[in-house]
Amino acid sequence: MSHPTALKTFADEVKAIPGGEHVELCYSCGTCVSKCMIQQKVDPDYNPRRLLRMVMMGLKEEAFSSPTTWMCSECDLCYAACPQEIHISQVIAAVKTLAVEAGYESPLTPVSVDETLCTGCGICVMVCPYEAPSLFEKQVDGTIDRLSQVNANKCMGCGTCVAACPVGAIARDGVSNSDVIAQFPSDHQDPPRLITFVCDWSLRSSEDEQFLENYPQNLVKVVHIPCTGRIDPQHALMALDSGVEGVLVCGCKPGECHFKRGTYVADCKINILHTMLGQISLPQRQVRFVQIGTQDRGRIRDEVDTMLHNLDGMKEAS
Amino acid sequence: MTTKPKLAFYWAGSCGGCEISITELGMRLVDVSEQADIVFWPAAMDFKYEDVRAMADDEIDICFFNGAIRNTENEEIAHLLRQKSKTMVAFGSCAHLGGIPGLANMYDIESLCQRVFDTSPSLDETRGTRPQTITNMPEGEIRIPELFDQVKHLADVTQVEYFMPGCPPVVEQIWKVFQAALNGSLPPVGSVIGADEKTVCDVCPREKGTSGFRIKEFKRPHEVQLDPNTCFLTQGVICAGPVTRAGCGTPCLNGNMPCRGCYGPAEGIIDQGAKLASFIGALIDTDDPEKIPEILESIVDPAGTFYRFGLAHSIMNNLKFD
Repeated sequence: MSHPTALKTFADEVKAIPGGEHVELCYSCGTCVSKCMIQQKVDPDYNPRRLLRMVMMGLKEEAFSSPTTWMCSECDLCYAACPQEIHISQVIAAVKTLAVEAGYESPLTPVSVDETLCTGCGICVMVCPYEAPSLFEKQVDGTIDRLSQVNANKCMGCGTCVAACPVGAIARDGVSNSDVIAQFPSDHQDPPRLITFVCDWSLRSSEDEQFLENYPQNLVKVVHIPCTGRIDPQHALMALDSGVEGVLVCGCKPGECHFKRGTYVADCKINILHTMLGQISLPQRQVRFVQIGTQDRGRIRDEVDTMLHNLDGMKEAS
Repeated sequence: MTTKPKLAFYWAGSCGGCEISITELGMRLVDVSEQADIVFWPAAMDFKYEDVRAMADDEIDICFFNGAIRNTENEEIAHLLRQKSKTMVAFGSCAHLGGIPGLANMYDIESLCQRVFDTSPSLDETRGTRPQTITNMPEGEIRIPELFDQVKHLADVTQVEYFMPGCPPVVEQIWKVFQAALNGSLPPVGSVIGADEKTVCDVCPREKGTSGFRIKEFKRPHEVQLDPNTCFLTQGVICAGPVTRAGCGTPCLNGNMPCRGCYGPAEGIIDQGAKLASFIGALIDTDDPEKIPEILESIVDPAGTFYRFGLAHSIMNNLKFD
């Protein structure tokens, strides 16, 4: 005999979704909060511990409208630290699934697809770490066109698809192709020595951020990107072509990527770029990818110094 | 009496494939010759450079120039034909982007000459003999053109009105362009002609990859039994279709071979090879980070693969030679 549905609690609903079943193991120690980059960098009120409590206490509306439900990018820094080994991001994902079913919408701004440019190649579908894009068919001028669409509730805005889209059909606030290119010096006009693409999550301390912001602009120009998955080798080459001496890309340490695989994707792209630079006898040292970990406070200073030092060496050698 | 428009065809640093593609017009060439005078076509008709030099400036209405600019002769004739032509068309991948000859820009000219004249296994007793720009013979001095230190495309050395991609341009597109040229309906100057706006991928009917697909090993077409109905990328085979301009009629795809990129970058793509690297890198399986170097190693000759037709027209090339 089954129980009447009225007796089913919010926690039961969460537990019924694969991944949500561990919610009741939480004893609210708060280790997850201490590990969370969103809590540290974006919203001090962001709190996985509290969300799990809301689930256990049946606070459905509060849970559905909590930023914690929507902003978790499944980086799983908390999972590795949880003494109860709760896969917290999966519990949060279960809550999010129920929230979407209940008609709630993500407060994040998703990427957008320009249907006039989209060729329906499906590359965004393949590369997205969150299964946000999918292909659909649409009647355009009497013919059926295959196009990409993005599920706004799944998109975390990492920009991996923006960089991968072959034809530049995907835009994201502030880091679309034109936004990035606009930050390069035009016509070799007083180029900085170095352009540094910095993942918004890779610098874990405000001192490191301040260090970069305060660095003389005539030496180092900082281009902020949401994740190094956004790196497009075209932009690295364009930066060099605009007259800068080097390109430094700062991402997260393997295992600590905020968007699951962005740092690996960047590693692959820069690797291919390095091989190609080598093949055509161009100095590979001009482009450098560094992966900075949560424990690496202050490392960005060393990396910028090393890079400028390398460039000095290259200048002397030539 | 109205005069017929005058056409010229020339081959510079090329393989001759563009010429063959023009002759594929077959009997339609007779129609062309009825509507126009062909005043220069070294591959097919007996004209000499002197005949061109004797022409008035702008006497040729349209010059279809194929081949890359590899040596001083290529450049000299490019300038000559420019002077004598109202409209210059960079015809085929080599004139448009540098093409296959442009891959030579990966190396310096001395190491290329070493390979060709000193170490190539097919050399006989001539091994080590280098052709000289000037050779003195009893009959007098013989001169041959001098190689440049880099392969250039036509627009590097002279002004070009239109760009017609393809290795070679396919015959149906040639026919369309000839008709447009002869009835004066060519698009605005600077356009890419004889091609479409979207990409090869856009017109490819193969089943696309699904969410979460990752490449675990790259394979070259001859190393794998390719399914003719699914996307090459999902079979681990590098395909330039997503970044390459459409208009070729997809003969490669129809033959179950991936797109090689000969129609050049589609609209909005700044550097065809780097853009290819941008999505190929993102497709690599990253679940097991230790395996990534192995997967990357299975990409044989990335520069040659990603820049197969466009190296001489890439940012990479600017960085090396500018």
